Amino acid sequence: YSSPSPLALCRLTQVRWSRYNPSFLEPEVNKELYQKPWEELSEEEKEKVELKAVQPIKAAPPSVSSSVFSDPMISKFTNMMMKNGNKVLARSLMAQTLEAIKRKQLEKYHKAPEDEKEAIECNPYVIFHQALKNCQPIIGLSNITKGGKTYQVPVPLKDNRKRFLAMKWLITECRENKHRRMLMPEKLSQELLQAFNNEGPIIKKKHVLHKMAEANRAYAHFRWW
Amino acid sequence: TLRLIYTTTAVQRKNVGASGPEKYTEAFIKKQIEEFNLGKRHLANMMGEDPETFTQEDIDKAIAYLFPSGLFDKRARPMMKHPTEIFPEQRKIQWGEDGRPFHFLFYTGKQSYYSLMHETYEKLLNAQKYQDQVTAQDLPPQKEKKNLAGSRWLTKIELEEMLLEKLSDNDYLRFILLLQKLMTLPCGDIEEKYIQKFSKEVPAQLQKVVIEPLKYDERGVAFSTGEGTRKTARATAVVYDNGTGKVTVNGIDILHYFPVLQDREQLLFPFQFLDRIGKHDMVCTVSGGGRSAQAGAIRLASAKALKSFVTEKEVEFMRQAGLLTVDPRVKERKKPGQEGARRKFTWKKR
Repeated sequence: YSSPSPLALCRLTQVRWSRYNPSFLEPEVNKELYQKPWEELSEEEKEKVELKAVQPIKAAPPSVSSSVFSDPMISKFTNMMMKNGNKVLARSLMAQTLEAIKRKQLEKYHKAPEDEKEAIECNPYVIFHQALKNCQPIIGLSNITKGGKTYQVPVPLKDNRKRFLAMKWLITECRENKHRRMLMPEKLSQELLQAFNNEGPIIKKKHVLHKMAEANRAYAHFRWW
Repeated sequence: TLRLIYTTTAVQRKNVGASGPEKYTEAFIKKQIEEFNLGKRHLANMMGEDPETFTQEDIDKAIAYLFPSGLFDKRARPMMKHPTEIFPEQRKIQWGEDGRPFHFLFYTGKQSYYSLMHETYEKLLNAQKYQDQVTAQDLPPQKEKKNLAGSRWLTKIELEEMLLEKLSDNDYLRFILLLQKLMTLPCGDIEEKYIQKFSKEVPAQLQKVVIEPLKYDERGVAFSTGEGTRKTARATAVVYDNGTGKVTVNGIDILHYFPVLQDREQLLFPFQFLDRIGKHDMVCTVSGGGRSAQAGAIRLASAKALKSFVTEKEVEFMRQAGLLTVDPRVKERKKPGQEGARRKFTWKKR
């Protein structure tokens, strides 16, 4: 049994619709979740599994697969880098970036003395995730109009918004502030490595945003949500 | 005047209970039923079948044969169905000859809805009283049978048909919330019967998928076929057992046919999900669509073919991973007055 969805409760007509019936659920591609034996699941998970068995499920999109190499963050980043629907180019740029990161890290690894060798991270996926995490701002600013004047009010950000801002800053930084002849993968790998070490222009931008939020602390009570 | 037939009660806009005499009297409907049964026997005799065992399907086939129609809309073609399906149920007149209504809630406007709410609330109070009695006597707790997943509540349209009255969304929601509250209490057998009137069985597993048995070709190798579609692409795949993992599309190797990595990933997705990468051979034919659509179509076809090689549990896992559903997304049509499907023309102030 399930109660009517919150959208139905609002009694609003929807402008954004999809070809799927609203009762369809999102597919779960991760293989490991299906390999857990029945007894190890907790009560909630068992209920979820039973409910899922009765509901129809949407088809998996073409950008998602169950192999080790497909990563949701990397796919999201590739889509944001894509221009005019040229996914082939975006994917190849992403692959070249990861390769460039690996090469640079391996160079460093072979040149470093014995005791520092373990501290150097060679896995480009780990570097990518860590760099993105370091770039994510904690607070953002939002424009609130009160009494005719618009104030910049510090506001906590949702996880999705943080990830989006980090990726957007990375991409705009790489597209604009580079030498005309430098290619995107090289510049991107440079920025990612810098962000991984908590230095570089994107981290600076994040700190500037935090300082602005700290400066506008006085208006924080304007927020009503 | 036109009369609306072969519809549901929810479609009738006018408040039939308040208007004049009934349009379909009971005698009229009885006569229609007799005529229908007679006509059924005549039809059976005409077709040379046995009148006793003439089912509705046979009637439909006979009518389609005797009155061929080229109309596209199935509802416009000649049909012969039982009068209860054709003439929608209507409420009988709610008041007597002196003008006094029968039901005490008639003047609320939605008498059946409010009487239903009253009954349900009465059951709720009973359940609470019963629970108080049980806790007072310190009896052991009742057995809890929770089959949450196997049933669903009636939809708003079904409830309207049951009550022969129009409902608003708010009313329907309130009723469902009340039923849920009733269900969460430790119910006795009385309330369960009452609740069953308003719930419907959902097919226990949405495995309406049909798993076909394996076929064997001349060399004794097991194989199975599957078909898949995506946008405008149509694909058929034949998956052979005891293979090396070679995949051929339209006679060409996949490395040459799909130079893009993403498409090849999609082709191997079902095999990788079931950990059977080097164990099967595949031969596919595909036509139509673009490169990504063809890859998606072959993925569906191969997943359907692999169903016959795998246990039922793994088929359920494949379904939950979204491998066995047909992707319904197609290109949206362009609308008049707009440049594309969604993009509007540039707005000019003057």
